[in-house]
This record gives sequence, C-alpha cells and structure tokens, in this order.
Amino acid sequence: MNRNRWGAVWTALLCLLLSGCTASTNYAQQHTVALVVKSTQTEFWLSVFAGAEAAATEYNLTLNIIGPETEEDYEAQNQMVADAVSAGAQAIVFSAIDYENNAAAIDAAAKEGAKIVAIDSNVASEAVSTYIGTDNYAAGQMAAKAALERMQAPLKVGIVNYDISSANGQERERGALDIFAESGRAEIISVINTLADAYHAKRDTAALLTAHPEINVLLAFNEPTSVGAAQAVDEMGLSERVFLVGFDSNVATVDGLQEGSVDALVVQNPYAMGYLGVESAYKLLTGQAGGMERVVDTSTQIVDRNNLFEVDSQKVLFAFDSR
Amino acid sequence: MKHGVSRTGLRITTILVSMVVGVVTVILCCCILLFLNRYRSAMVQSALTSSSQAVSQVSNTVGNYLQGMDQAMSLVEWSILESADNRDQLLSAFLTFRPDVVAVTGYSPSGKMLDCWCLDHEPREVIYQNLSFDLNRARTSGGSYMTAPHVESIFESYYPWVVTMTIPLESGNQTAWVSLDLSFSSISTYINNVSIGQRGYCFLMDKEGNIVYHPQQQLLYAGLKSEDTSSLAALEDGAYADDTVIYSLTSVAGSDWRVVGVSYVDELVNRSLSEMIRLSLVLGAALLAAAVLTSVLLSRLLARPLRGLADAMERFETDADHFTYLPVGGTREVQELSSSFEHMVLRIQRLMTTVREEEVNLRKTELKALQAQINPHFLYNTLDSIAWMCEQGRNTDAVKMIHALARLFRISISKGHELIPIAKEIEHAESYLQIQKYRYKNQFTYHFDVDPACLNYYCNKITLQPIIENAINHGLDLLVDEGCITVQVRQDGDDIVFDVRDNGVGMSDELIQSILKHGPKDRTGIGIRNVNDRLQIYFGKQYGLHITSEPDVGTCVELRMPKIQEGDYESK
Repeated sequence: MNRNRWGAVWTALLCLLLSGCTASTNYAQQHTVALVVKSTQTEFWLSVFAGAEAAATEYNLTLNIIGPETEEDYEAQNQMVADAVSAGAQAIVFSAIDYENNAAAIDAAAKEGAKIVAIDSNVASEAVSTYIGTDNYAAGQMAAKAALERMQAPLKVGIVNYDISSANGQERERGALDIFAESGRAEIISVINTLADAYHAKRDTAALLTAHPEINVLLAFNEPTSVGAAQAVDEMGLSERVFLVGFDSNVATVDGLQEGSVDALVVQNPYAMGYLGVESAYKLLTGQAGGMERVVDTSTQIVDRNNLFEVDSQKVLFAFDSR
Repeated sequence: MKHGVSRTGLRITTILVSMVVGVVTVILCCCILLFLNRYRSAMVQSALTSSSQAVSQVSNTVGNYLQGMDQAMSLVEWSILESADNRDQLLSAFLTFRPDVVAVTGYSPSGKMLDCWCLDHEPREVIYQNLSFDLNRARTSGGSYMTAPHVESIFESYYPWVVTMTIPLESGNQTAWVSLDLSFSSISTYINNVSIGQRGYCFLMDKEGNIVYHPQQQLLYAGLKSEDTSSLAALEDGAYADDTVIYSLTSVAGSDWRVVGVSYVDELVNRSLSEMIRLSLVLGAALLAAAVLTSVLLSRLLARPLRGLADAMERFETDADHFTYLPVGGTREVQELSSSFEHMVLRIQRLMTTVREEEVNLRKTELKALQAQINPHFLYNTLDSIAWMCEQGRNTDAVKMIHALARLFRISISKGHELIPIAKEIEHAESYLQIQKYRYKNQFTYHFDVDPACLNYYCNKITLQPIIENAINHGLDLLVDEGCITVQVRQDGDDIVFDVRDNGVGMSDELIQSILKHGPKDRTGIGIRNVNDRLQIYFGKQYGLHITSEPDVGTCVELRMPKIQEGDYESK
C-alpha cells in the first residue's frame, strides 16, 4: 500500500514534468504543397502563383509550382501529380486541363493520402475537398450580357474557345450560349476550339473572321485566346466593327481595351484563387477543414473602356508589384 | 483491516494532507491570478510601447524619404527651367539616379501634358486617361500634393502602380505643373521589413484613409484582406489596443500620410502570457506536490506512532495478561503519551494480579470457613449412634466410632493446611465411610483400590468425603439392594485420578448440572461444587470433577489433579 502511494506521487510528478516539456517541443514541421496548374506562362497564372506564394509564406509551407508546356497536355499534368505525391507533397492544389482524364491521377494521389484542392477548373473526382474559382457559368453569362448590353444591332456571334475537354471553358460557353439564346437577338455563327496560346488563337480567329465576315461579336474564353483574338481583330482592322469580349487581364488586352480592339474584359481573381487554394490546403493539412465549403466563388468583374481606370478596375486588372 | 469494527472519523493523515493541499491551492491560485493579471497589463503596456516605437521609426524614415523627394522635386523644378537639351540630359540623369521615379511629366496651365521623361518607355500617342494628373485638383490644392496609389496609364504595355507628387511651378512658365510618379520600391523594401512581433506589420495611408502602401497590397486588392482604414483615419496619433489587435498611428512629418502599425495582442501578449501561465502552473503543481509530500511526511511522523499506540491499546484490550508494551517513538507529545500508557499498562497489570490474588485468597478463606463448619446433623446423628451403642453395651463398636470421628476431625483440620498427603485423605474418607456404615447399618459395602505410588503425593483435603456423601445420599440411600462404593486412586501421566463409583440409582443430567453449578441446596457443608472450585482455583481449568451417571447402573465421579509433591503449592 505504501509503495503504491509513493509510486503514484512519483508518477504524478513525472507526468507534470513531461507535460511541461512536450508542450514546448510540439512545433509543427513544414508541410509541402504542390500547385499543379495548366500553364506557367500567362499573366493569369503568374498572378495565381503570386497569391499562392503569399499564402505559402504566411502559413510557412513549402510550395512547389509545376505546370505543363501547353494547356492541353493533361498527361503531363497526371505525371506531375504522381511525381509530386511521390516527392512528398501532402496536398495538391490542382487546376485540371481535362475534367475527365485528370480524375484518375487525382484519385490515385488522394489514395496516397494527399489532400486535393481544385482551383480555376475542376476535375471529376470525389477526392476534391474544395473547388476555388470563378463561377464559370455566371462568367460566361456575364460575357454574353456585356455584348448584349453594349450592342444595339442583331448579334452575329463567334466564339473562340480553348480545349473542349476543359471544364471551365465549356461552362463559360454554356453560360454565354444560354444568355444569347434567351435574348432572341443573337445568332451563334460559329464556335471554334483553338489551342490556348496567343499564336494559334490569333490564327484561328483570323480564319474564323475571314470565313464568317458577318460576325460582329467575338467571345474569347481565357487569357491567351483573348490576346490572340484581340491581335487578329486589330490586324484585320475590325476594331470598330467587331465587339470583342475577352477574359482576364493581360497587358495586351488592356492595351487593346484602350485602343479599341477589345471592348470588354471579364476579369477573374487569379490572385485569390492561388491564395485561397494554398490556404485551403493548409487548413486541410492542419485539420482546420471544419465548415470548409465545397465550392468557393472568387469574384469576377467586367471591365470596359468606361471603367477601365476606376480604382476597383485598376485593382483587379493590374497586379501590384512593389519592385 | 485487522479489526472488524468500522470507524467513522478521518485519519490525521487525511485531515492534514487535505488541509495543507487546500490552503496551498487557494494561496497558489490567488498568487497566480494576481501575478498573471499584473503580468498581462505590463505586457500590454510594453507591446503598446514597442509598437509605437516601431511605428515612429517608420514614420521618421518615410518622412526622410519624402523630404528627399522634396529636394528631388526642387532639382526637377530647377532642371525644367533650363534649356530643352540641358533639361533632357539633367532629367535622364536624375531618373537614372532615382530608379524609384517612374516618370516626370510637365503640364501646361490648361492641363495638357507637355513633356514626359521616362527612361525606357514612351508615352502613348493618344492617352486614354492620365491618372497622374488631375487639373481640378491641381488648381484647387494651391500647393504641392500627393495622390493615392494608381496605375501609371500613359504608357503602352507598362502599368506599374505609383503615387504621384505634383507641384506647381512659378507662374509665367510654359510648364505650370510638374508631376513625379513614384514607384513603391524604396518605401516597400523598408516597410516590408518592419515587423512588430511575429506577424505585426506597418502600412501607410493618407489622412482620408486611402491605403498608400501596404505590405500585402495585392491581398487587399484581391479582396482577400481588408483594413478598417476609415475608422483608423478618425483616430488621433497614438496606440490603441483592443482584444486582438494593437493599432499604433503616427503622422509622417511634412505630409498627410500616416503610418499605421498593426500588431497582434495574441502573439505579443497572449503567447508570452500562456507561456507564463504554463510556467506558473508547472511551478504551482511542483509547489503543490512539495506541499503534499511534506504534509504526508509530517502526518506520518505524527500518525504512525499514534497508530502504533492505538494498535498497542487494541492488543492490550484483547489480551491484557500477556501484553508486553514496547514504547513507540515519534514526537515529544507522542512519547509522553506512550510513556503514560506504559505506566498505565504496568499499573493495570499489577492491579489485575492483585485482584486475582485477592480473589483466590478470598475463596480460600471462604473454603476454610466452610471446611471448619461441621455438618451439625452429621455430628448429632453420629453422637446419637455412639450413645445408642453405649446404651446397648456395644462398647467396642462405640470406641471404633469415636476413633473414626476423632480421625475425621483431626484430618479435617490438619493443622490448617489445605494440601495433605493422599494417604491422609484416604484415611479421612475411610473414617467417614466407617461412621456412615454404622449409621446405615451395613446397608452398603466399600472398597479402596489405591496405587501405593500415589500415596506420597499431596491433594486437597476433604475432596473425597463430599463425593462419597453424595454417592450415599443420591445413589445408595434409595437403593433397596446392598450398595457398594469403590474408591480408586491411580496415576495418569502427570496427573492423579480419583474415581468414586457407586452402583446406586444414578443421577439425571439436570441433577448433575445443578450439583456442579449451584451445589445442593438442601445441604450445608462442603458440596461437590466446592471440590471442583477448589481444584480449579489451585490447579487450573483443565483439572476438576467429571461425573458420568447411568440410571440404575450407578454413578462415577472422576477427580483429576496434578501430581503434587510436598511444599509445591503451600505458597498459594
């Protein structure tokens, strides 16, 4: 009985000491997050990276940013996801080139224990904890409304879209088509799917405009296609005749907006996507995912020549670079 | 527990330990709370101080920067007044020398842009909107002014964020205003590196609450973060703490900019506070443990000897005779108690011995008195018988009777000794039987069977006579046939056994019990019970009488006592 009592006293003391020690040594090790995106070139993605890096700095994460050469190479993306997981990434912030064909790789990564956050364009996987990006259907609608509101004449619409298997491009197109159909004064002349770089977009848009000279409204659904379309319109001297609604902010399209080749821009919030994507990954990794929403809509804004230099437009169009 | 009795009430250990623990806990809690409260307010105060110090440093640096800019401006002003060639040279040198100046622009009194100097970029031919110059504001402000941050909008494919500083030139010039577009590079490197605590930071705003520069400007622009600048703009310079954030504001000298320092109470105060809480809890726990330990030790020091004392008392209660007291140690009070108890034990034991001795003595005196009593009826009857014999002329018989009677009395008295040789006792019994046989007119016979080795041992006197008397009265008196009494004396190991048998009517168990317990009520003189008592007083409980009786067969009374040599028990 006596020995038991002493044992209890010593155990209690030991516990106290240990709890005092362990509490202070329990600092978290750095988590590793991989950001796998569609492209590493366009201003849109550079802005995403800036946001992601800001979040990584704030939450003390190791961030690896990777993306394929072209915005159509979903296989390379799949490989990147697998490589990132085997290299020890605990969370993948992912923007899918192909809604269907990227799903298997994401499922495999999730099976390895990686947390999945989708940004910008979603992927057909149950493993996606949250999707952060534009409400693409609404953005498409916004683009169509911009054209409808600013044009009195009947609309002959040409659509320059990118990869047909990309979820967000198709959503935007659907939104736009629905609004045009609703309006009753718009006619869809042609929908083309081009590669997501300015060179191909410009070439295909020029071909489209040549083939269908009646087109007076052009919709381009992401940054490179917008740049390409703007260049095509500018070079063909159609700035006055063709109403071009582009997506996202690029120096070229902003110039075009001032010069007339571009008439409206639907500007997403790529910085927020990058930031919130990495932040969500951090929350998932540290078990703060309670109440996390399945879909987070980052804001979208329409900018045209009239509000181009308003403070709010400046903020969404031009990245702040302190250098 | 050893004893079945359950006790209410608390042990001294429990009381002492809980008392000490309780008091120590309360005191510790009070001390810790007081300390933490003081500590927190001190921490908040120091956080406020360090925050305002950091902010005033930033404010000085920004002030210096602006002062530098004023000087640069006067340089530009002076340059513009030079001839065109000189001017271009001077200004491009100036722009190289000040990389944070994005562009220098000059404006006519009507607000038309006249010149633009920039190192790498040419202004657009058609400027859609020039955010660097606002004619209305330039006219109303009267002097120099600074704009809120905006995008440089006069170049093609080049849209840096800048603030513009505009000053009016002396009137009469072609150029009425000069604007300097300043990038944030010099301010940002400084402000980005300011940290107050771990996460605290500084930002610049103008007096309307527009943010001029913020380390996380893009986060603000992307709508991911916001600063409540409108309410901050309403505050005077100074430091303000609420539950989570400490704001510290200082105006930058010579401008309408203000530096705002934001730091987090959580990390500046609460973290060290929680560190302190943990430390004080550990300390408190250690103290508590020490207190418990001390009180346990202390109470053991007190309680163990007390418990020893209690145990000793308990043992003494159960067996006072064979109790030997071992004194317990401990504190002085306990030692005193212990020695008192020791005295008491010795006293009680002595008293008990005395009482027992007195009791034995009393019994002995009583017995002696009883022995001295001669059954008067027996004496009358015997004397009657003798007288009757004399009358009849049976002189020989009368003489025998008288001798027997004389022997009976002599041995009864035996000079007052209690223990007599067994031979004498046999003689006594024989004399009695002789007399009775005369009196009962030879209605019975008797017979002695004595182991001669026993004769020299001693026994209590008058032990056989009462048993024989009982045999005659209860066994043979009612017998029609001739009775027979056998007295046998034998050795049985270390004991001597007397057997007295008769072939009388026997006794019932109730009668045996009543004889052994109360003694026959109808009789005076020494009863069987007295014999039993005497044997047990002298020799102990294992000795004494044992009666077996069978109706119509007879009774056997067995008397057992130890072998006693002369002088063994005389002291008693």
